[in-house]
Amino acid sequence: MFRFFRDGLYRDYIILILVTIIVGAAVSSGVAWAVDAYFGDTIQEMIGDNGEYDLILHIREASEEAAYRELERIAQQQYPGAVISKTISLAGQVNYLFGFPQEAKTVETFSRLPSIFNAVPGLNAYTVIVEPSVLVRGVHPSVSEVLQQRFNEIDGVSFAFNDGKNMLIVLESAEHSKTVMNEARRIIKEYQVLEIRFPMGFDVDVQTTGNEVMQLLSQEYPGTRLANVSSAEYGEELDALMKTLVEMRHFLLSYASKVKIKLEPQSRLVVGEQILVQGVSEQVPVTGQDAAPDHVMIEILEITGDQAQGMIVSGSVAANGGILTQPGYKYMSENKVGQLVGEVQIENERYRLNYAINESLRLLRELDDLSVEAATAVERADKVLTTFQEALMQLEVLQVQMQQLNKGLAENGVQSTSEQLIISLFLNGLLKNIAKSGSEAAAEFDLGELENLDVASMRSSLSNLAEQIGSIQEIDVQAIIDQITDIRDSLPELDDEEIGKSVHLVDNYIAGQVIPGERIQILVENGSIDEEKVEPLIRDQLQNQYLNIYSIAVGTVNPDTRTEVFRILKEVRATIAGILSIVLVGVFLMLDHATIFSTLKWFRANQKQPKHRLARFLNPIVIFGAVVGMTILVTTYSLSNASIPYVSMPMVAVIGTGLGVMIGMFSEKFSPVRADEIMAGLALGLSNAQIMHEIVIPDGRPGLLNLLNRTKQKF
Amino acid sequence: MLKIRGLRKQYGKQIAVDGVDLDVDRGETVVIMGPSGCGKSTLIRCINRLTEPDAGDILLDGQSILSLDDQSLRAFRRTVGFVFQQFNLIARLSVLDNVMFHLVLAGVPRVQAETRAKQALARVGLSGAENKNPANLSGGEQQRVGIARALASNPQLMLWDEPTASLDPILIGEVLDVMEELVRTTNTTSVIVTHEVGFALKVADRIILMDKGKIVEEGSPRAIFADPQSDVGKKYQRLIAS
Ligand SMILES: Nc1ncnc2c1ncn2[C@@H]1O[C@H](COP(=O)(O)OP(=O)(O)OP(=O)(O)O)[C@@H](O)[C@H]1O
Ligand SMILES: [Mg+2]
Repeated sequence: MFRFFRDGLYRDYIILILVTIIVGAAVSSGVAWAVDAYFGDTIQEMIGDNGEYDLILHIREASEEAAYRELERIAQQQYPGAVISKTISLAGQVNYLFGFPQEAKTVETFSRLPSIFNAVPGLNAYTVIVEPSVLVRGVHPSVSEVLQQRFNEIDGVSFAFNDGKNMLIVLESAEHSKTVMNEARRIIKEYQVLEIRFPMGFDVDVQTTGNEVMQLLSQEYPGTRLANVSSAEYGEELDALMKTLVEMRHFLLSYASKVKIKLEPQSRLVVGEQILVQGVSEQVPVTGQDAAPDHVMIEILEITGDQAQGMIVSGSVAANGGILTQPGYKYMSENKVGQLVGEVQIENERYRLNYAINESLRLLRELDDLSVEAATAVERADKVLTTFQEALMQLEVLQVQMQQLNKGLAENGVQSTSEQLIISLFLNGLLKNIAKSGSEAAAEFDLGELENLDVASMRSSLSNLAEQIGSIQEIDVQAIIDQITDIRDSLPELDDEEIGKSVHLVDNYIAGQVIPGERIQILVENGSIDEEKVEPLIRDQLQNQYLNIYSIAVGTVNPDTRTEVFRILKEVRATIAGILSIVLVGVFLMLDHATIFSTLKWFRANQKQPKHRLARFLNPIVIFGAVVGMTILVTTYSLSNASIPYVSMPMVAVIGTGLGVMIGMFSEKFSPVRADEIMAGLALGLSNAQIMHEIVIPDGRPGLLNLLNRTKQKF
Repeated sequence: MLKIRGLRKQYGKQIAVDGVDLDVDRGETVVIMGPSGCGKSTLIRCINRLTEPDAGDILLDGQSILSLDDQSLRAFRRTVGFVFQQFNLIARLSVLDNVMFHLVLAGVPRVQAETRAKQALARVGLSGAENKNPANLSGGEQQRVGIARALASNPQLMLWDEPTASLDPILIGEVLDVMEELVRTTNTTSVIVTHEVGFALKVADRIILMDKGKIVEEGSPRAIFADPQSDVGKKYQRLIAS
């Protein structure tokens, strides 16, 4: 093969390769540079000169004029010297640039941005582009104040302020950018938020559990400062539907039968496994036999120590009511009953609720009856009291008469009649008896005492009672009864199996979603905690194998928007250069080198040349193509400062080799040789170089090779 | 002048030329005939090494052609005119350029090359067609350009590989006339492969009959068709008779 190149052709070919590389690199970096410059200008147009503007205000197109008027008012009245400029409009949104006057660029101004601009009509949002600055994204609220203070103390920092979840560090000048960024990174590294996420459905007291975790951590990492910065809220990312679903799941579970399992010591259950109990089936489960279709299946939800909780997923215990206690067995594959796992207690919540409602209904009805009875009783008591009072009065009269009678007896000498004596005795006895029933203490009956009875207050309390009973009677007990009956009847007619299925459905739906359950956040200072190391410890401590621990940075440091945009632009430039070099090298290989490969192949097939044994399997022209492709692409790629994300230099070499192999293999497709013309050239005594210059290349595709050949070509 | 000894050429399992011995004297016109695929083209191409033989030797005035290095081989080829069945003209060059470009590339000054090219074109009756593009010529004219191109380098040996085989019957005549004229007026040594029996009878000093890569019969035209010994010869005899 190399014989072909002997008469000066190798020099031509080397020149071609060099020119290919130079042109390829020049074109790719040139185009990339042009794109870069174009976008650079556009960005300049978009966000103004360095430090000129501080904000981009995004305003609804419809409110543009009103918004502009308000901005002008702010500029004239509140911040004289402020600059406003309209920049590009996008998707129904106009964007205004706003720059505060130099003396107003203070922490006070930037800290109250929302209130400064809250009257701007149609303001959707704003982006802070203060320059020069360093942006710290996602600042954890628990450290935001501390960080602000510490950032303020860094050399070269004017001030730092909060912008939503971000914090902007405004610099005295741009050259501090690097050092401030490094310093800010260093400060942020001193803090760490350890987040403990519980799976959905776990109710955790973030305060007490948090303290428990902190205690454990301070034992493991003495010297670190820890603070519980949990917010009991669900993550903001949890949308309304998710919340509803989670609530629904809660509701369903609380409504389902409570299944408690007291585990046998050797039973190795895990959450999610199923067990079965007899339920209301006729068939007693026996280890090793088939499970009956009406056995009750229970899925394990939670295990703590020797206690487990579960949920009925199929079968029913409804008819049984109240509490059911039965032995539970593992449910094995192929519908077999497994080992005994423990004693299962099923409390049917719906039965209990029903029972409670029915009881209250009964009570209500009784209360109604009772109030009627009570009213009658009070009435009667009142009558008794009146009668009693009347009787008392007559007794008084009687007593007076008797005393007079006694007097008369005494005054009228000894000869008293027997009748008088009998009457006197009788009266005494009677009065004594009355007094005994009223007051045991009264040794001797005295009618005066009897009169002392506070009949009036008795009467008033009686009338109070009557009033109360009256108001009870006034309550529309029947309405309450109706309401409660309604509630009872409207309770969903779900059985445990349906609840289980619904819970599964909800679980499946939310399984794919990122839903933090309850979470605890611990702020760690002066030290770093390896979340992977502490995870098992905390799991053991809280006896929950399903919680996860994440370490969260309290912020990430980014350069300011402009720097960031230009950095991205640089990346884009390098990517464009990379893609272009690959495309250009491919094109050059196809236009120029394919011609040479085809000719080489023709000569190889038509001329007597010693063929290497290896060459029969590995076509040397394909290998040659691979080497050429790789060399050209790698050099072009490097020279044009190209860099495609995730494409390393060895990969570029592989791509070059691939292109070379492909063009080598299918060179005739890209550039077929005119065999008859080459044959004529040979017969006419032309050299290989002459055949190339006068026949092959001029016949080939227009390209670099063709261009370079112009100087050599005689015809 | 030309001595071929034990020449062999094989394509895979297919033996194209199978031990051919052949002598051609200076000024002699040798016509090679034989059925299609018998190895005529392979043989004639081996003479200027457009095809590399596997074995045997080819000597020109005692000098082995097979042992020539690249440069000498090219020098040798410049003294041999080769006329192709498919003309093999350079499509992008004009008629004149087609006839002179190899002279220029061989170092002949352009003016001189042009004069020689024009003379050659005149000999094949194509004066005035110099600036035409070959694609605009008839097949017969194209082949005459091919002949002129071969003549322009004043060859000592002319090799013709079925020059009329790809022409319309009505165009064959004009090419054969040119060929006959050339053979009669020059004493260039010629080896002609052709199927044109009548033409062979007129111009051949000697006829070689080939079959399956081997020479099966040779002799003067009269002798060979009067009393053919080989099967191929007998077939040609029947052809002439009919
Ligand atoms: N390049 C080649 N590769 C493979 N086989 C070839 C090649 N050239 C010729 N052959 C074979 O060699 C044998 C002789 O071919 P050649 O062209 O010499 O015959 P020919 O007598 O010239 O026939 P024709 O009258 O058809 O031109 C044929 O069987 C042909 O198929
Ligand atoms: Mg042939």
